[in-house]
Amino acid sequence: MLGSILSQYARTLSVAAAFLLIVLVEALGIREAIYPGLEAFFNWMNQSSWLGVIGTTYGSVYATVEAVHLLSMAVLGGTVLATDLRLLGVVFKDVPSETIVTGTHKCFKWALLMAILTGIFCAAGVANKVYFMEVFWIKMLVLLVGSCFMLFIKQPFLTSRPHAEIAPWMMRLLAITSMLTWFTVAATGRWIGFS
Amino acid sequence: MINELLLQFGQWMEAQQYSQMLVSGYFSYSWLEATHVLTLMVSIGSLFIIDFRMLGWVMPNVPASTIAARLHKPMIIGFVIMFITGALLVYAKPVETIQSLWFRMKMILLLLAFINAWVFNGRLKAAEGNWDNDPVAPRPLKTGAIISLVLWCGVVTLGRYIPYDWVDCTNTTNTTILWAAGCVDQLNAL
Repeated sequence: MLGSILSQYARTLSVAAAFLLIVLVEALGIREAIYPGLEAFFNWMNQSSWLGVIGTTYGSVYATVEAVHLLSMAVLGGTVLATDLRLLGVVFKDVPSETIVTGTHKCFKWALLMAILTGIFCAAGVANKVYFMEVFWIKMLVLLVGSCFMLFIKQPFLTSRPHAEIAPWMMRLLAITSMLTWFTVAATGRWIGFS
Repeated sequence: MINELLLQFGQWMEAQQYSQMLVSGYFSYSWLEATHVLTLMVSIGSLFIIDFRMLGWVMPNVPASTIAARLHKPMIIGFVIMFITGALLVYAKPVETIQSLWFRMKMILLLLAFINAWVFNGRLKAAEGNWDNDPVAPRPLKTGAIISLVLWCGVVTLGRYIPYDWVDCTNTTNTTILWAAGCVDQLNAL
């Protein structure tokens, strides 16, 4: 009985557990204990890993990967906007929202993967700087939360039932949360460049 | 001749009070740059979705003309914001930008991208109704979409190169590059 109830909400419970873990990590001071130890890893990323060496040695390669990162974020933004504006009833009113949600998701996943891979390269090139930036850690946290939200909550929920059965406020809430999350990821990313 | 005129125009802009205000205010310039880059997600994001549909990569079951028509408005809004903020960024650092080889190349690609968009729109209207529900657009539209993707990737990449100074007026003596970048003083000094 309990097992069947739990399995029905496995993804929601996993996300809740992850959220609880983050709260515990913060409340118990685990983050503060781990943080100093990460400095050596970030220095290694920047000075010794081949990603960091390429990034710091070849400026043109770094700038080109940065451009690919921006393009991936643009594609990601395009898919998020198309989906969320449809859920809000702003665009594609004549196309079923189920079609838009499923039709853009594959592209979103590829764009996210590209953004993460190129982002790792970009971070490695300036790892000894970003380690000390609060905005970098905020971005990482929002990226993690956003990815979990998209892959484990929003998409499974929207593909699990016809959208006519979902309350309109729920659709709007999902769309606004998603747009705000990805806007924050992009904006904090831009802010890293200014810091 | 053209380089001298552009430099004079840049110097005239740089002498303007508002240009100096934009560049000296740390947050004003950063906000402009951030808005310019973040609007990529609206403008180029929407444009790429349209191009991807032509290639059959996204929503192949939705009529291509519907995708193009519905995303047209957000895309245009995005591009208008990008052009306004882009123009203000040039206005804030006119001489430096006008004498950037990457900026000049970006403007050429931008022009080509607009010509391609104009041709593409014409083809889209001409072919309306014949192929709309096909997963992949006919060859001319597919070619237009690929050209669009390549040109806009180039625009973004060259835009990203602008802040870097690998090919700056002060660190090259190659006359072709100096001429292409519009480095008038350095050319006269040679």
